[in-house]
Formats: sequence, structure tokens, C-alpha cells
Amino acid sequence: MSAVLELDGVSRVFGGLRAVDGVTLTVGSGITALIGPNGAGKTTLFNLMSGLLPVSAGRIRFRGQDITGLSAHRRARLGMARTLQIKQVFAGLTVLDNAWIAARQRHRPLDPFRRASRDRVTRAAAEEALDAMGLLPLAAREAGSLAYGDVALLEIAMALATRPALLLLDEPVCGMSPAETERTVARIRAVSATTDVLIVEHDMDVVFGLADRVIVLAEGRVLADGPPAAIARNPQVREAYLGEEDAA
Amino acid sequence: MSALAVNRGLTALLLALLMVAPWLLAWMESEFWLTVLTEILIWGLFAASANLLFGQVGLLSFGQALYFGFGMYGVAIGIDRFGLGLWPAMGLGVAAAIVMAACAGVVAVRLTWHYFAIITVVFSLIFYFLALRLKPITGGDDGLSFAAPAIMDLGGLRLSLTDDATQYWFVLLIVALAFAVQARLRSSALGRAFAAVREGERKAALLGIDVLRVRWIAFVIAGGLAGLAGALFALYGRYASATHMYYTVSGEAVVWTVLGGAGTLLGPPIGAALLILVREELSGIWEHYPLIVGALTIAVVVFAPKGIAGGWNALLARVTGR
Repeated sequence: MSAVLELDGVSRVFGGLRAVDGVTLTVGSGITALIGPNGAGKTTLFNLMSGLLPVSAGRIRFRGQDITGLSAHRRARLGMARTLQIKQVFAGLTVLDNAWIAARQRHRPLDPFRRASRDRVTRAAAEEALDAMGLLPLAAREAGSLAYGDVALLEIAMALATRPALLLLDEPVCGMSPAETERTVARIRAVSATTDVLIVEHDMDVVFGLADRVIVLAEGRVLADGPPAAIARNPQVREAYLGEEDAA
Repeated sequence: MSALAVNRGLTALLLALLMVAPWLLAWMESEFWLTVLTEILIWGLFAASANLLFGQVGLLSFGQALYFGFGMYGVAIGIDRFGLGLWPAMGLGVAAAIVMAACAGVVAVRLTWHYFAIITVVFSLIFYFLALRLKPITGGDDGLSFAAPAIMDLGGLRLSLTDDATQYWFVLLIVALAFAVQARLRSSALGRAFAAVREGERKAALLGIDVLRVRWIAFVIAGGLAGLAGALFALYGRYASATHMYYTVSGEAVVWTVLGGAGTLLGPPIGAALLILVREELSGIWEHYPLIVGALTIAVVVFAPKGIAGGWNALLARVTGR
């Protein structure tokens, strides 16, 4: 399995707190899930991977290239797309314009001359991404008027429209109804046929139903890494993380 | 009929009215208002500069007067000191504003919200006081006055700004072109990148948008627009003064923008027109007329937070169902 993303001894310190502590891991093909109890450092690690935060130590390589010092937008242009835990879209724009902006970033993104509406190639790419998430019928709607579940799907569609090699999904089904969750899981599974996915998720049914591989993070360190079945049986994981669910 | 078609029709009507204004006002024996209309067009362009930053990119600038002043002084120094013709002097004014904005923008666009607003005021104040001190270049407190060269002088055909109607046509043509360029910009990929940065800079960065670069480009274009307005204003008054570089002048552009509708193309000039007309009608009657300006602005912010044009667009969307 070739690694699309490699982390080597990555750490992040906030004052006296070591939120991520010497994490070394690789992300390969298919769906990889990153789980761990609250405060384990999952979102911080996502921020380090996507460039929203600089690392305190360690190196990050993406598709063989060292991206440790690169900004978020340059990582995105290399093919790393990411959704946010608190869903964010361009609320004042239409659903189609949201996806259009994402799709345009690979080709003359700041062209001041040509009318955007005449760029049929970008429009087609945006519509394709919206269709993959089942949002094409809502293309003309203002993004700010969408239901929460559709906002989450639009975020994924925007990430897909950038044609990523790796999709980082931060709690994609958080706050969704069971029906919306089922719909979203099916669409993520379909996406994973062509795009590698790294997902942070608290819903264990979703994690164990989707992931080909699970990485467990606890107190900023990698606690376990392996297939879902092995992770489910791992006593350290059960104690550190799954035990919390049993207790609940 | 769609909202877009209605707005296009209204824009065409507005342009038609502006084109017949010289004859209409002459027929009404109100030629004075032609110079007021000329001034409104210039200040409308200046408001568009503040709007590009605030309405389109989400950066509230209280420093656009700096670039307005560079445009003014560029023209005045070009004509008075270097003996340039009208067009090269205008080019010098706009270029000076763009270069200044490009330099200030490198620092300013790294900041947002109140920090951005403060740094723009600081730049503005630095150059305001410099303009007052550098008397040999700027004329200091007295400013620089000059005689405007002809717009065109081809044998028997001489067009001069001393004729109010010619001056109006000259300003209308340039302002209309500047707004046409802005309209194109808004509908381009760059315009959408502006909107993305305004709506959510973190999200924009995660999609591959170079947020700082986009902000810098907007800052430079806005500086150019302010510089163009300043160049026109210098030619209109045959005068350049540091007073117009003071940050309160920038504040007026922000008020016009908010009143007219931040983020809309024609809202800011509408806001400028409304408040300049209020000034012209009331300043001779009641010295405290700025109170009315304040009350009007507060009323719009409370009852139509998207401004006059924004409120109109919302009403139109409701009526047309889109």
C-alpha cells in the first residue's frame, strides 16, 4: 500500500500543553478513520495536516513531497481537501457558486477578465461534485438557506470539486439525523472508490462500517493502528476509548 | 421578469438619465446642479473603492482617503511641477495611488477587522501629516492649485474642463468606464474569489485560494479606484489639498457604502448621491445638518441593514420569487 500522506514525529505544543505528541503515521488508499476520546488531538492533527496550524516539530509529506512548511492553500492545490468540524460554506452564495469556486482553484483561479458564467468546464466539474453528493437539484439555492445535513454534504462536494487525492473529513455526520447519516455514509463510500479518505468521527457505527483501517489517538499519541476488527478487540483501545462508550 | 432583468433595466434608465442631465438641467435653468452631479459621480467612485474592500472582500478600510490624496497630488504635481498634460497627469495620479496601495497592502492585508481598520487609519494619518510638512512638494496647508490643461486640443477642436458640461461628460465617461470594469470584475473568477474570502477566509484557504494574495489584489484595485477619484476631483477643483487625505474623508466613503448597500455595485454611489444632496439642500438652512445624515444612516442600518440597494434587492427577490 503506497502512502499518500506521511507524518514523521509530528508534534504541536500550545504553551505547556502537548496536544499532538510525536505522531508518526501513514495514510494509504481507501478509507482510514482517526478516532480517539475528546481531547485526544484529532482535530489538532487535522489542522497540522491541512496547514491551518504549523507543526512544533516533525515532518509531513504528501504524495512524496515535503509539505511541512506549506500554507493551507498550497496544500489544497497539491490535492489535499478538508472539511471542517463546524460546517462552513459560503452562505451568501448559491450552492452552485460554492462548488464553482472550489472547482476553479486548479485553473487560473484569479482571472479578472472572463465571465465566470461562461466557464463551462468549471461549471461541469462543480455540477459533477454536487451530483456526487445529491445536491444538484439545490444548485440555485442560497447556501445559507440549506438544512444542516445539506450544508455538510455541500462542504464535502466543495472539497470533491477541487479534485483531491486525499479527502480529510472532520466529523462529517456530526449532528445529522439517522437518515441523513445513512445517506452521507453511502456517498462517502462511493467517493472512496476514486479518492483516498481520512475521516475523524465519533459515531462508532459509522467508523466501523466505513473504515478499511482505524488509527486510535489518545493524549496526542498513536495508541493503536490496524484493521477495524483488530482495533475493536484491542484491550488498550477499549480501555482508553471504547470503554467510555460502554460506560455511557 | 427576473430581478436581474429589472436591475439591468434600472441601470440603463439611470445611465440614460445621466446622459440627458446636461440638457435637462439647462432646460430647468438649474445648471448649478450639473457641477453637484459631477461631484456626486466622483465621490460615488470613491465610495466604490471603500465598497470593493468592505462589501466584496470584507475588509473595513478607513484609509481610502490616502489613495484619493495620492491621485489628487499626482495630478496637481504632474501639471504644476512637471508641466504634464491632462492625461499623463491623471496617469501619474492613478499610478502613484496604485504604487502606494501596493506597498501599504503588503502590511495591511495581513490584518483583519479592527486591526485592519486601524492600520489603514495609521497609514492615512502618516501621509496626511507628511503632506502638511512637505510644503515645497505639496504646498502644505495651502495645497496646490493649478490650471487644468485641455482634455483634447486638435486644431480647431479644443475640449476644456472650464466648460461645466464638458467637465461633466469627461467625468461621466471615466466613472462609467470604471463601473463597467468593476461589473466585469465582480462576475469574473477573481470576483468570486473576493466573495469566497469575504464569506469565510479559512474555508477559502482550504479550497486553495491564496487569501493574502486575493486581499492584496483587492487592496491595490481599491487604491487605484480611490486614486482615479482623487485625480478627477483634483481636475474638478483645479486643486489638491492634504485635507482630503484625512481619515474622516475615508469615513464618509464608509458611510456612503453602508447607506447605499455594501457589496452592491451601485449602492455606494447611491448612498453618496443621497448624502451629498442632503448636504446641498440643508447645509444652507441648518448648520447642524450632519445630525440628519447621522439619523438617516442609523435608520438604514437598523431597518435595512443591507443598505438601500441591498433592501431593494431583497424586496425585488420577494416580489419576483427569486
